[in-house]
Amino acid sequence: MTDFIKRLLRTPQGAIGMVLVLLVLLVVLFGPMLAPHDPEALSPLTRYKGPSLAFWLGTDQYGRDIFSRLLIGARATVVMAVLATIAGTLIGALIGTASAFLGGRADELIMRTIDAVMSIPSLLFALLVVNLLGSSTINALIAVAIAFAPGMARITRSVALSVRKQDYVNAAIARGESSGYIIFREMLPNVIAPIIVEMTIRVSFAVMLFATLSFLGLGAQPPAAEWGLMVSEARRYMHLSAGILIWPSTAIAIVAVGFNLLGDGLRDALNPRT
Amino acid sequence: MTTTPDTPVLAIENYSLDYHTASGVFHALKNIDLAIHRGEILGLVGESGSGKTSLAWSIMRYLPKNAREPGGRILLSGENLLQKTDAEIEAFRGRRISMVFQDPSTSLNPTLSLGTQLAEVLVRHRGLTRQQAWKEGEAMLAHVGLKTPAAMMNRMPHEASGGEKQRVVIASAFACNPECIIFDEPTTALDVITARQILDLFVELQAETGVASLYISHDLALVSRTASRVAVIRRGDIVEQGAVRSIFANPQQDYTRELIAAVPDPSHRLVGDALATTDQPLVRVENVSVHYGRKPFLAALTGRKTERVAGNNAVSLSVNPGEILGIVGESGSGKSTLAKAMTGLNRFEGQIWFDGREIRNLGDMDNAYRKDVQIIFQHPDASLNPRQKIGEILSRPLKLFGDASNLDQKVGDMLEQVRLPRTHAQRYPHQLSGGEKQRVAIARAFASKPKLVICDEITSALDVSVQASIVQLLLELQKAVAPPTCSSPTTSTLSARSPTGSP
Repeated sequence: MTDFIKRLLRTPQGAIGMVLVLLVLLVVLFGPMLAPHDPEALSPLTRYKGPSLAFWLGTDQYGRDIFSRLLIGARATVVMAVLATIAGTLIGALIGTASAFLGGRADELIMRTIDAVMSIPSLLFALLVVNLLGSSTINALIAVAIAFAPGMARITRSVALSVRKQDYVNAAIARGESSGYIIFREMLPNVIAPIIVEMTIRVSFAVMLFATLSFLGLGAQPPAAEWGLMVSEARRYMHLSAGILIWPSTAIAIVAVGFNLLGDGLRDALNPRT
Repeated sequence: MTTTPDTPVLAIENYSLDYHTASGVFHALKNIDLAIHRGEILGLVGESGSGKTSLAWSIMRYLPKNAREPGGRILLSGENLLQKTDAEIEAFRGRRISMVFQDPSTSLNPTLSLGTQLAEVLVRHRGLTRQQAWKEGEAMLAHVGLKTPAAMMNRMPHEASGGEKQRVVIASAFACNPECIIFDEPTTALDVITARQILDLFVELQAETGVASLYISHDLALVSRTASRVAVIRRGDIVEQGAVRSIFANPQQDYTRELIAAVPDPSHRLVGDALATTDQPLVRVENVSVHYGRKPFLAALTGRKTERVAGNNAVSLSVNPGEILGIVGESGSGKSTLAKAMTGLNRFEGQIWFDGREIRNLGDMDNAYRKDVQIIFQHPDASLNPRQKIGEILSRPLKLFGDASNLDQKVGDMLEQVRLPRTHAQRYPHQLSGGEKQRVAIARAFASKPKLVICDEITSALDVSVQASIVQLLLELQKAVAPPTCSSPTTSTLSARSPTGSP
């Protein structure tokens, strides 16, 4: 394990990604404790202020402290994105592994269905789901998870196909193991490495997709401190103070870049030949 | 061969090579001293991981980034290759020193025709034009014994057989009349008959051109047929080198003796010749055929006829209780296909009679059949799940077929039965050596007390020095549990009867 972390930190992408993701994690864990102001306290006298000692990143259109809102909104934004990615990955990995194990006509049927679902752009698909279920944070999470599952299923299947040909799977079939055991215990543990890499990269997509949904008014609802929603609300006031728009956008970018770099680093570290 | 007074073509002096890995420095080669003169074949013999291929790559000057060379020289006709620049080395490769790889199907580019790949060497190193190179290439293919060289030039690698491809690779290695050629197990990936032909071709070309050759192999018997001198390498050390005859007649090192002892000898048998005769065979395979590939959906709709690949054509055989039956055949002859059909991994047509019961399809193979018929695969790396501990791997058959009480105790007993320490239950497969892994696979197969164990070339992926002990172990278990065994590679030493397989 320490060997693995050493290898991860040796690549610049891995090291930078690790630092950024750790930073984000710290904010998620301790953000609400560190926030200097109440994120929802309005103060009409201090609207559109630039950065100052009292308000580190300035204030928004209602005089709320942007820094506090970012710290508190981290939980809503990042945790949701990670949860949605994990859910989507789990669904996709199961479908992909099962499809590779079954093979033949069943595999064909599952994968062509996946292809059909994948032909719908993920944002449109998420919009469709949210529209059907109604707009709320949980529904947005479900929408993103479902939108991600087909892509994960495809990646998992391609890895699982090569695992399927291994003799340990043959040995399990020959001794009459159940399909469930073969999929969960024999195959899934061996396809996990590429899935983890793909997952970290997808977290950044999820953050952006969530931000987009909130921006369109289909995710979190005001006055929540979700970052995408903050950008969406700031749009109308950006000629009065650019900071309202820039800071939450920067926060989203940091999370996206951090997870992306960590994914790149993991890919190199998990592949022993590089 | 110190009789030739001139300098050797290839001389390696006190050469060492280290790999820097995350877990420390690994010494791949230690103070290697070798010399090959013109017209000489030096055989380099060692087990997997002994540093044979590392040496080949360091002569070719193609080392991974984490390789360090603490000392020594590699001299090609007196010039030190270690001090050459990359550009100089590039001019060297292919022209003055070339290499033939183990597997012709991976050493040829699958997207270029054989002719293009051969002509490229000639254009690059001998400065011929495309047309000249193509003509010269045809002549060379004729020279390496290919019957239709002009047609062969236009073929793609997948349209040629393994032997034909290896001939093309050899032709391109000899293309520029190099001073030295490295052969890295050139026959290992081929079946016995083709390997023999390639070996003959190699000896013929070698005698004709007088090129200095370094012949790398894990098989001492093979090397002794071609090489004049042999060097035995173990864990990066040359433990012994000398003329073939003296090495065979008077080996100095224990390790060399082990290698010589491991060379199979058909007259030396481990079991008696007596054929067991019973009226009731345990297994009778009747007209079992296996076809690969399924009917395409469209073809099924339109009723178009499709040709499927035949794995087995109506094979019939029988095995008596307690008997060992050997199945021998070239690669692709359908040995493994039959084994897989009998263990329910391939769909088959025909019948299998097992212990008086008729098995017509996979659905007839119930839990009792699967308990009685066990298979051991060729590669222990592939047949043990790398993410499961040995304890879990061994406990599965117990859970499925026996009572699941006292699992730890029983797994420990199984490990002791195959002469592994009980503590190995806590390890993962990658922490074990190849021989140890195969012992675990054997323990797993014998766990359910089966009546029939199918061994699919279980020793061919192992080093010669452990092969014998694995076969010994198998025979002991066979006597203790008394199941017959079939489909084994070291057939001549093992089985009383051996039908030859062909599709």
